[in-house]
Amino acid sequence: MIAQALMDGLIAGTMIGLGAIGITLTYSILRFANFAHGELISWGAYAALGVSGALATAYAPLAAPIGPFSFGWSLPIGLVASMVLTGLLALLVDVLLFGRLRARKSAVIILVMAGFGAALTLRSLLEFLFTSKPAYFTDALQIAMKLAPGVRATPDQLLSLGVSALLVFAVHLLLTRTAIGRAMRAVSENQQLAALAGVDVRQTIRIVWLLGAALAAVAGVMAGLLVQIRPHMGHDLLLPLFAAAILGGIGSVPGAMLGGLIVGLAEALSVQVIGAEWRAAVAFVILVAVLLLRPRGLFGSAA
Amino acid sequence: MSEGTALSTRGLIAGYERDLPIVRGIDFDAKPGELVVVLGPNGAGKSTFVKAIAGTVPVFAGRVALGNDNVTQLPAHDKIRRGLAFVPQTENIFATLTILENLELAADILPRHLRRQRIASVEAMFPDLARRPALRAGQLSGGQRQMLAVARALIVDPKVLILDEPSAGLSPRIVGEVFSSLARINQSGVTIILVEQNVKAALAVAHRGVVLVEGQLRHEGPAATLAHDPIIAELYLGVAPALPA
Amino acid sequence: MIELLSYGAFFLTVALTYAIICLGLNVQWGQTGLFNVGVAGFVAMGAYTSALLTTPEDPVRFGGFDLPIAVGWLGAALMAGLLSVLVGLLTIRLRADYLAIATFGVAVVMQLCALNLEPLTGGPFGIGFIPRPFGWMAEDRLTFGLLNLGLVVLTTLGVYLALERLLRSPWGRVLRAIREDEQAALALGKNAFAFRLQAFAVGGAIMGLAGAVQAHFIGFIAPENYVPMLTFQVWAMLIVGGSGNNKGAVLGAVLVWAVWAATAALISAVVPPELQARAAALQIVMIGLAICIMLLVRPRGILGEVRTVSRHVHEASGKK
Repeated sequence: MIAQALMDGLIAGTMIGLGAIGITLTYSILRFANFAHGELISWGAYAALGVSGALATAYAPLAAPIGPFSFGWSLPIGLVASMVLTGLLALLVDVLLFGRLRARKSAVIILVMAGFGAALTLRSLLEFLFTSKPAYFTDALQIAMKLAPGVRATPDQLLSLGVSALLVFAVHLLLTRTAIGRAMRAVSENQQLAALAGVDVRQTIRIVWLLGAALAAVAGVMAGLLVQIRPHMGHDLLLPLFAAAILGGIGSVPGAMLGGLIVGLAEALSVQVIGAEWRAAVAFVILVAVLLLRPRGLFGSAA
Repeated sequence: MSEGTALSTRGLIAGYERDLPIVRGIDFDAKPGELVVVLGPNGAGKSTFVKAIAGTVPVFAGRVALGNDNVTQLPAHDKIRRGLAFVPQTENIFATLTILENLELAADILPRHLRRQRIASVEAMFPDLARRPALRAGQLSGGQRQMLAVARALIVDPKVLILDEPSAGLSPRIVGEVFSSLARINQSGVTIILVEQNVKAALAVAHRGVVLVEGQLRHEGPAATLAHDPIIAELYLGVAPALPA
Repeated sequence: MIELLSYGAFFLTVALTYAIICLGLNVQWGQTGLFNVGVAGFVAMGAYTSALLTTPEDPVRFGGFDLPIAVGWLGAALMAGLLSVLVGLLTIRLRADYLAIATFGVAVVMQLCALNLEPLTGGPFGIGFIPRPFGWMAEDRLTFGLLNLGLVVLTTLGVYLALERLLRSPWGRVLRAIREDEQAALALGKNAFAFRLQAFAVGGAIMGLAGAVQAHFIGFIAPENYVPMLTFQVWAMLIVGGSGNNKGAVLGAVLVWAVWAATAALISAVVPPELQARAAALQIVMIGLAICIMLLVRPRGILGEVRTVSRHVHEASGKK
């Protein structure tokens, strides 16, 4: 029982971690908590659903399952397309809303509120387009493989774990080893000085949106693949995402992933103890504990 | 504009609010290789003047030229690419980045093949920094931070280097070190414009000084004569200058 | 005619309960700059507290205590205020948006509690038989409606006047001073944290009171009344009316509620049943867009903020 709960928590945790990386990046560089990030996750899932559905209809072999997995090549292609589309959506919202408020030097909290309005709009727009009925990438049922005594996981779940691990590593390298990563960290610390050092701040902000949204799209596709696709899926993830990002320390990519794993595991284990109906409260308890004990999080710099 | 200036301004009007400009019409020239110090009492607009040149304070009218190029409305990140480097007075390094990352960040705008070479040559000028490349810059002392800020600005091999009160908050011994390294940089051919409160130390290394009062250029002269000019004493004692307004 | 009048009374009563929530949010956001994304949670706290205190005893759950309505309302304000103090103690010292995240969590958890603490809240079915003011008059619908409207008008007016007084008092001036320039206020020796916490608690208590008023007017409550949608509506009302302005808060509430009720009526009349869920989603899109557009186009709302601080300046310059 416990071993299986740990496995489930690990899988849910990587998903939360991916979303939290997006949150932590936009938070530390754009300097506000983006309540619309959950909606990027949902839109990412629906965009992948749309593209992979269209591909499968246009060319049936693309829908044929790859090896042990439940989906065909249409889904990975759909995922890549969705990363681009979700990135463009984030840029669009930035151009229409956040960018204008930034240019006006609005207070942080105005940006938070704008994100809140954007979240409402985007979420209900999805509900309008697709209704609140759940959707699925595939109808294929998967048999879970026995990994160890009492521990089972489906090939889809294991693949998600692997892809997440790879992405976290890639984003970490991007931030610490490349020019664009240095530029992002510089903008995160001091925008004006970054500009004086030759960093194009607006360009950097665009890249942060693209990156954060692309990661959100991956998280959305994973959530859709492992659970289901609903217009509220991202909104329901928002509290765990914020808890994970703050627990890890705002701005820290490994912190966000670790925070995600802790939140995921805590949820899975507490479901065993207090029942599934309280799952959503677990992230809140963690959030309160972090704010009480160590507001800057595990790896955050003292602000 | 005159031939052979490294940097010049004409009728520069700048500040934070359009109807309340702080810099009120400044004509200024710095010749190639010159070290010019900008003096003036508190609130004279010295800092705003250099920030407007660097592009971090809005320019409302007038022009800024780098060599023969009009760079007035270029964003700050383009000015550094043209060879105009600025070191702000405070928060002039990235505390969360390492020493090496601070330098790499500045080098990222150079062509790839030049980056290593420029970092190496700047490290040669500041051996203290070269010794601990992986140290977080936030852990440096005040003087070391100032050195890193100057080093970061020098990475791109600028034509003009502008510094806003580099000696502020430093001990006299460190101030001496900062000024002597500025003199060395200047001798290597970089035009330097320096805002300073520390009049004596600044005039000791400068070629020429200009005096700003109430956002306008009121006085200028060779550093050697300016050092003994009674107007300087008057300005820094807070007495209103005996000049026609 | 009587139908219309009693609908009018009903509409205004509901709109004014929102106006009270809005006034509470205005103390937190408009006057103090504290961003509460969990309005629904504080309203729910008030509604459930009052319901628990005033309903007749129910064998399947804890309580009710059959206490007078006034005790219920007072209890509602107290409990919601207490919840605000706890949340405020946790987050007001930290980054501004941590408060937003924490209040967001409060709303989620209150919703869960309402759903799952069945012995206390009645679970998904909620609590019924909440005593209604002037319940003995319920036979005569028009009089009953008008009496209730009268009570809600008085409550709204009471809260409004109390807040106006409070905001013009030295306490209110310090509050705005802190919002405008924290460093300056600190330099004057004002404890910004304590003032913010007090404002957050006062605002939360008013929301709790509003929740109770609403619960007693409708007569039953259930978890689905306190979803994030409620928070969004109240925010739209405050932003449309003009944050920082109590008249604006009331005006915004009535205006937004009117648009909301009218579009809802239109949808149920015009849109075929199978498309109504979609149309309702579009209605929410509208609220979201309204928030964004107001922030961009008219960040001060329709009425904007009354400049109480600089009153003397205006008088001195002869503008009044």
